[in-house]
Amino acid sequence: MKDKKQTVKDNLDIFDFTSDIAVNIKSLNLYYGNFQALKEVSMELKKNEITAMIGPSGCGKSTLLKTLNRMNDLVDGCRIEGSITIGEKDIYAKDIDLSALRKNVGMVFQKPNPFPMSVYDNVAFAPRTFGIRKKAELDEIVETSLKRASIWDELKDRLNKSALGLSGGQQQRLCIARSLAAQPKILLMDEPTSALDPISTGKIEELMSELVKDLTIVIVTHNMQQATRIADRTAFFYLGELVEFADTQTLFTCPADKRTENYITGRFG
Amino acid sequence: MADIKNMADINNMNVAAAPTLKSRRRGSKSKMKEVTAKIIFIVCALFSIVAVLGITGYILYGSVPALREVGVFNFLFGTLWSPEYGKYGILPMIVNSVIVTFGAAVIGGTVGVFTAVFLSYWCPEKFHLEYKGKNKAAARVAALINKINLRAVFDQVIKLLAGIPSIIYGLFGLEVLVPFLANMNSAGIGQGILACSILLSVMIIPTVASLSKNAIEAVPQSYYEGALALGNTKAQAVFRAVVPAARSGIVSSLILGIGRAMGEAMAVIWISGNRTLFPTGLFSYIRTLTTNIVMEMGYATDIHRSALIATGLVLLIFILIITLSLNLVPKDFKGKRGVKKLTSSCNSDVKYLRKGKVSEGLKIFAAICAALVAICLAAVVIYIVINGIANFSFDFFFSKQQIDTPTFAPAFFATLELIAISLVIALPIGIGAAIYLHEYAKPDSRPVKIIRTFIDTLSGIPSIVFGLFGNIVFARLLGGSSVLAGALTMTLVVLPTVIRSTEESLHAVPMTLREASYGLGANKVRTIFKVVLPSAFPGIATASILSIGRILGESAALVFTMGTTLTFTGNPAERGSSFTVLLYYCANEGLYMGQAYMLALILLIFSLLLNLAVYAIQKRVKKSH
Repeated sequence: MKDKKQTVKDNLDIFDFTSDIAVNIKSLNLYYGNFQALKEVSMELKKNEITAMIGPSGCGKSTLLKTLNRMNDLVDGCRIEGSITIGEKDIYAKDIDLSALRKNVGMVFQKPNPFPMSVYDNVAFAPRTFGIRKKAELDEIVETSLKRASIWDELKDRLNKSALGLSGGQQQRLCIARSLAAQPKILLMDEPTSALDPISTGKIEELMSELVKDLTIVIVTHNMQQATRIADRTAFFYLGELVEFADTQTLFTCPADKRTENYITGRFG
Repeated sequence: MADIKNMADINNMNVAAAPTLKSRRRGSKSKMKEVTAKIIFIVCALFSIVAVLGITGYILYGSVPALREVGVFNFLFGTLWSPEYGKYGILPMIVNSVIVTFGAAVIGGTVGVFTAVFLSYWCPEKFHLEYKGKNKAAARVAALINKINLRAVFDQVIKLLAGIPSIIYGLFGLEVLVPFLANMNSAGIGQGILACSILLSVMIIPTVASLSKNAIEAVPQSYYEGALALGNTKAQAVFRAVVPAARSGIVSSLILGIGRAMGEAMAVIWISGNRTLFPTGLFSYIRTLTTNIVMEMGYATDIHRSALIATGLVLLIFILIITLSLNLVPKDFKGKRGVKKLTSSCNSDVKYLRKGKVSEGLKIFAAICAALVAICLAAVVIYIVINGIANFSFDFFFSKQQIDTPTFAPAFFATLELIAISLVIALPIGIGAAIYLHEYAKPDSRPVKIIRTFIDTLSGIPSIVFGLFGNIVFARLLGGSSVLAGALTMTLVVLPTVIRSTEESLHAVPMTLREASYGLGANKVRTIFKVVLPSAFPGIATASILSIGRILGESAALVFTMGTTLTFTGNPAERGSSFTVLLYYCANEGLYMGQAYMLALILLIFSLLLNLAVYAIQKRVKKSH
């Protein structure tokens, strides 16, 4: 009896990802103090798709990304209106468990940020957070995660070396592996390749196309070619507004809005 | 206001630094000046090396007679210390020192590190009390509380805790801690291992906490955010990602704390119990290396005296090892052994569970530690203030000096002269050394690294060793203890503080100011004296205040260099007692406890004022930037 209660309390799978819509954003307004960074943004992100967010600097795309796993909570004076539903749950509800949310909605940052630990300890960080201590289990998770991030072959012989000794591209893929080890359903990527060389970028793009088979990816990018290469659908933001959100093909070939056209043809200020 | 003043300064500088035809004509002479100045700065910088080598050399030299007579092995490993019978074995004291230091490192280190974690991540900067009632007084109180910046308060708490003189800790230990502990055990003994460990813990907390805090705050924010994004709670992120990343800084802070605990003499002298045997329990009387010197140096002669110097040598070697081990702390994570081969044969369904109770517990523990630190300070301060006021006597302050009763005036003048002479010597040398290190030498070049190592070593040498050195060199040279001998000793003690603080302020002077001066054709010496040093003035003022604080609170280095007397003629070449030394004298035999409390209160007030002065300077510097 007690055991059962324990598992209910410990259950981290509080999200229900059976429906087609992974994320549902409804009339979202976000303020930094008096400045409004997002205006009435509404969008539905589909499961097992890559959604790209593009737009000029300061358009609010990174801000929106951060609201999806509530990393914006760390910003002082950040206030939010509207709702975001992930896996049938309002993630801004009072009783939401941030740990569970962030376990299910992983994030890869613009600059690779491996911890100053070994490769192994980096990847095992999240599983350990969630109570996995057995070496065999950890080993399995580390290996699968590194394989999923297609960096296993490069790193399998240096698992106990410091992660800080890796190249930038390797560090970023390690960070992806580290996120995957938490077994997320959604992966948020904030300009994950902007600090990397073209070859590493190619590898990460390839990896994303592979990963999207079992999870949902949201990527913020400055690079429009990248969006056309990998995204199923693309959203264009301008001055905190969602201007247009459509199939990548459609958005880039026949945009509906003048502002989108100006941006993708490079005629923007 | 500050801006206008700065503008005026810059104008003056430009005028002062502009080259004239005259100065150009005297080119060779000014070149001579340049070279002379550089040589002087180098000599100042080398002074620290000379000081360390000199201290080590003289202590070694003074130890030789005893070591030769007793034998190095018998001295180190002998278990009997009985000067009357010519027995000089210090093993019990080595063991006692190590145990007490270990105890302090465990208690003080834990409390210090966790306090640092609390201050960096949980201590609220502002309270957000809302009061909706109508009572105006209550509303005012709420508003007042909201104004308090708790983090700034804690910073000051730690600084004050660091600024309280050892001898006051000793007095507190003797009168409060020992009776308290005595009530706790059946034997009714308060002195010993536990009392010393606890008191030393309190004394190393400021060192550990402030340095650990720096290390924790230097950890990139991305580690914290990275851990949060992986589903860690705040407490988990702090204890699993941030703190491990700060470990090299934390370890360094612990090592410095250990050095401090090992070398402390005056705080434990009254609470150790003074028995030269191995400890038998937490409450058994002990004698440490430092207290061995203080207890007997006053009357020892010949081999006995040499054996005490040799005790100092052993202590010095311990401290040198501790200080040098700082360099061995790896700065970065380089990888570790552990994962040999993956054994991923497990195909079970791995279940992720919600965890984090341990981290939550650690968070609460961190808050408790911080509270404990504040309570420690409050306890010492309140105790001294109450007893100081309760024992106030008009006679102490205003009666003429007497041979048999402690009075305020002689101690006041002796302290004043002590501070003045020490600063007059230490400031120029320290500032010169800082100028060489920052303005002349290539940063991180070999000579700079060597000089820095020696400065660090000098700052790690325990007061009592300085005292021994001052006693066998300065006091002998000057024909006995005197205020001057004390001042010369204190010069060595405060030198590292002066150098470091000056260097920091030189670092804060923008490069562009120097470039502007060179651009106007001023040479290096002129640039340094007319442009750099005036801008670095706040730092030099801070250096002076910190030095005054250190001199005011010092006791172990002065007892055997200034002499304990109740009178003072005003002539620095004669014996005199500073406040601390007089306090030691008053409380040591328990004859003048009232005067001891008054002196403790005076010292406390002075250290509070000095803290305030530093705070004011730093606030002003911040404002003007």
